[in-house]
Amino acid sequence: MSRRVRLWLVLAAGTGLAVLLVAACLDLPNFGGDRHPYGDRAVRASIARHTANVISSVNFDQRAFDTLGEMTILFGAVLGCVMLLRQTRDEHRARPRPAEVAPPVRRYALLVLPVALVTGIYVVAHGQLSPGGGFQGGVVAATALHLLYLGADYGALERIRPLGVYEVGDALAASAYVVLGLAGLLGSTAFLANSLLPYGTFNTLSSGGTVPLLNAAIGMEVACAVVLLLARFLDQAVEIEKENGE
Amino acid sequence: MNGWTLAATVGLAGGLGTALWGVATGPLRRRVVAQNLATALACPAMLLLAQGYGRPAYVDLGLVLALLGPVGTLVFARLLADELAEDPPRAWVATWAVAALGAVTVIALCVATGPSRAMAKLLVIGALLIGGNVIASRALAGGFRRVGRG
Amino acid sequence: MADAVIVVALLLVAATATVAVATRDPARQALVLSVLGVVLAVLFTVFQAPDVGLSQLAVGSALTPLLLMLTVRKVRRRGRDEEHER
Repeated sequence: MSRRVRLWLVLAAGTGLAVLLVAACLDLPNFGGDRHPYGDRAVRASIARHTANVISSVNFDQRAFDTLGEMTILFGAVLGCVMLLRQTRDEHRARPRPAEVAPPVRRYALLVLPVALVTGIYVVAHGQLSPGGGFQGGVVAATALHLLYLGADYGALERIRPLGVYEVGDALAASAYVVLGLAGLLGSTAFLANSLLPYGTFNTLSSGGTVPLLNAAIGMEVACAVVLLLARFLDQAVEIEKENGE
Repeated sequence: MNGWTLAATVGLAGGLGTALWGVATGPLRRRVVAQNLATALACPAMLLLAQGYGRPAYVDLGLVLALLGPVGTLVFARLLADELAEDPPRAWVATWAVAALGAVTVIALCVATGPSRAMAKLLVIGALLIGGNVIASRALAGGFRRVGRG
Repeated sequence: MADAVIVVALLLVAATATVAVATRDPARQALVLSVLGVVLAVLFTVFQAPDVGLSQLAVGSALTPLLLMLTVRKVRRRGRDEEHER
């Protein structure tokens, strides 16, 4: 295929896509209208199951199966990264030299680390009540651990980060989500149905049936996955060198 | 639109607009400072929006930003340490001005909230925001020496 | 008038995203990208989608810059090593 033909092909396909997109946009409901058929139903279902945060109810109850798919995507993506960034045969590890960090920066990092960790857990635990949930809280908690690399050095981070534990945690959390779904199948009607637990009192930590449990599973999965992902990137950037390198 | 959202709009347009200009042009030392100030300016705007919309739950966004914004700047300070050591940023006036702006915002919000748990949360966010912003500035101005391969 | 904050957030996102595309050096691009993350979080908040905004903040403010800067460091070091061997 010559350059000219390819160009025409791209132009034709691009024009077709643009026409379809514009046609779709013209048919959209107006910005900020007062009719929201899907929203109304989602809010009604969410309040019926005592989940104050409707988004959490959609993610972990009404569309919990979609979240299972998203979790599997993250799991697979991290697995792929871990495979690609492993140490190959012609590479060796060099001990990272400790960095000289200014004392105020070091103190700040060591002080904020526990605060950020607690905030991550808080965001996961309040997923059914206020904005946030497993994904957001998990990422915050995992980022918090890496303050040890930023405020001290890589050796300090490696000491509190046994990777095997995080690998097991990642797999356990991912299977916990599926097991909770299967429990719904055995205990009542359908896979991931939210009818196992009592719905609790509206706007308290234990409300929402299985929503907080699924939230916790996702939080643990995401936190472990992010730690594993960053571990491979840090290994490559800090420790692993080509044989015959400097 | 009430006074809180108006203040947030003005802060976003002026503050983040300036920060964007700073991060887009000039030498590296200016860009890292602008990145630090962008997070330090966005956090008070988030708090003002939460108050303006009357949604206390939105304060969580300000909390996460006050925690992770300075961490992001520490990432740049650490991994660009060699380049920044040759040409260290000096931006104490801008840093303290933005810190003062954050303090004024948090105090105004505290007065509007009244003594309660929400006020304690706002004070924690304010402390994290100002402390993090100042420390991140310190880290940019030579917080990491001889990082080498670490 | 009530939409002024939405207009400001949209303009900021458009401008920051354009700058991010136009910046060539990866380290400077990572700086712009982290500002873009914050601006996007503001946009999601003014659209009353704080859950999405929180996800954007969690990922965009520290995690993405760390991944990008570690990659830049690895690539630059490999380049330096090869120059050394020659």
